[in-house]
Amino acid sequence: MKTNRAGRIVLEVVMVILSLIFLYPLFLTIINSLKSFSEVMTDVIALPKSLVFENYSYVWNFINYPRLFLNNAVITILGLAGIILVSSIAAYKLARTKSRTSSIIYFLCIMPMLIPFQSIMLTVLQMAKNLHLSESTWGLGIMYWGFGAPLALFIYHGFVKGIPKEIDESATIDGASGFRLFFSVIFPLLKSVTTTIIIIDVMWIWNDFLLPLLMVNGSPDTKTLTLAAYTFVGQYTSDWQYAMTAMVMAVLPSIVVFIFLQKYIVKGVVAGAVKG
Amino acid sequence: MFKQGRRRAERLEFGAFTLPILICVIAVFYYPFIMTIRYSLTKWNGISKHPKFVGLDNFKQIFMGDANFTHAAWFTVKYAVLYIILVNVLAILLALVLDMKLKSTNWLRAAFFIPYILSLVIVGFIWKFIFMQGFESLGASTGWGIFQLSWLGEPGLAFISVLFVSLWQSIGFYLVIYIAGLQSVPDDLKEAATVDGAGPVRRFFNITLPLLAPSITISVFMALTNSIKVFDVILSLTGGGPGGTTYSVAYDIYRDTFQNNLYGYGTAKALILFVAVLVITVIQLTIFKRREVEA
Repeated sequence: MKTNRAGRIVLEVVMVILSLIFLYPLFLTIINSLKSFSEVMTDVIALPKSLVFENYSYVWNFINYPRLFLNNAVITILGLAGIILVSSIAAYKLARTKSRTSSIIYFLCIMPMLIPFQSIMLTVLQMAKNLHLSESTWGLGIMYWGFGAPLALFIYHGFVKGIPKEIDESATIDGASGFRLFFSVIFPLLKSVTTTIIIIDVMWIWNDFLLPLLMVNGSPDTKTLTLAAYTFVGQYTSDWQYAMTAMVMAVLPSIVVFIFLQKYIVKGVVAGAVKG
Repeated sequence: MFKQGRRRAERLEFGAFTLPILICVIAVFYYPFIMTIRYSLTKWNGISKHPKFVGLDNFKQIFMGDANFTHAAWFTVKYAVLYIILVNVLAILLALVLDMKLKSTNWLRAAFFIPYILSLVIVGFIWKFIFMQGFESLGASTGWGIFQLSWLGEPGLAFISVLFVSLWQSIGFYLVIYIAGLQSVPDDLKEAATVDGAGPVRRFFNITLPLLAPSITISVFMALTNSIKVFDVILSLTGGGPGGTTYSVAYDIYRDTFQNNLYGYGTAKALILFVAVLVITVIQLTIFKRREVEA
């Protein structure tokens, strides 16, 4: 028993050291974002001699950070709201209706999960241009409705099947029907799956790169955080201190949110994967 | 009369609930997909008004003599196979350790998960900085040869770098799936095996691993669909270099359509990618579903 305990302590120490090495690149990114150019060039791993916060104000103004943040928020919220709305109502109706049409529609709507985005990106972009959705944050948000719907429908559908039909029936007797029945009775029951969908879709849309690159890269006013960091680093390949600052500013919101909502995020990701 | 009216109302309601999703899915998947098939049969640079119909010429050219595509396909296969194996093996090993209820389990899980919440493009840039600048300093202070290699400058090493950075970014995701899977393995089963005299290794292979099968199915499926489409991380880490050796199929498609303006040719490649993904996914799901056991 004693060796066992000693072994556990060794294992514990080894694992903690391993995790610190694992996160070391992020640590280096942060300390180098606070150094001057010459310090970054002379020694990357040394701690900054004095903290250079000017890097942050420079990048903040140069890429217009508040604007990018707002863009990301608009795209994510708009996309998410649409995904949840269209897939939850469809999942409810499709799970409750037993007919050939119903199963064909369900199949048609979840099949696209197998289509890689790169297979259709050119024609998606053309369609977006034709519908005047490109070069606009709203347009990009709307595009996510379609891209996010199949997985969300799949997850909702599996869940609605577990809600007893008697609940619908008693609500019908009380006089509720159609959308009112759905939003006042069923939708609240879907809370746990809705949370799962929110978590996986926020992580996806907030960090997405290729679709925004094709859709909103034309003007600095419509860029997303990741996109702006990408272009910024492309222009400042040798000014590493600015590049690192831009990286930190791009990832900081995600890390802060993760620190506070860690438990829910991990749970949501697992639930999404297991059901998806 | 009354019954007919009710039926119509029901149909209307069915339409109102399902049409929105149908419109969305058709707009971003089916319509573009059909257009992709159409363009793949044409020669078009995107500028001229009308694509020129060329039949299956694009496909012939891709399969007969496109060194870029062959190379990218080979890169992607190698990458996907190694990625799927490594990410799953490493995640299972890590999950076994974290399942031992160490004091630091919560911290460890969070630490390994953090890179997964970051954008892949950014992760690529961070590692580019580490490989280019960080390793120089680390090499100078430790004197280890491993830091003096040109991790992004030599084809073989660049491949390893791409693979390594992908693993670093995503291992936390697979880790939490396996932890959840391990928690659903009943303890009494393991105890019964211990009583029967099975050692830890045999216990793992005969009890834990078979019961982890559903988690393995999910993880391999996710690893497969993600690795076969690998793009973002390569774009920012190596940019396809050195000497075009780290182009993946997805990146090759991107290069042809948006950088070389070969719209018809690029969409033909895109269609091949789709068929490959479809076939591999279906095969994989049938094989793994068959092998799962109930606890």
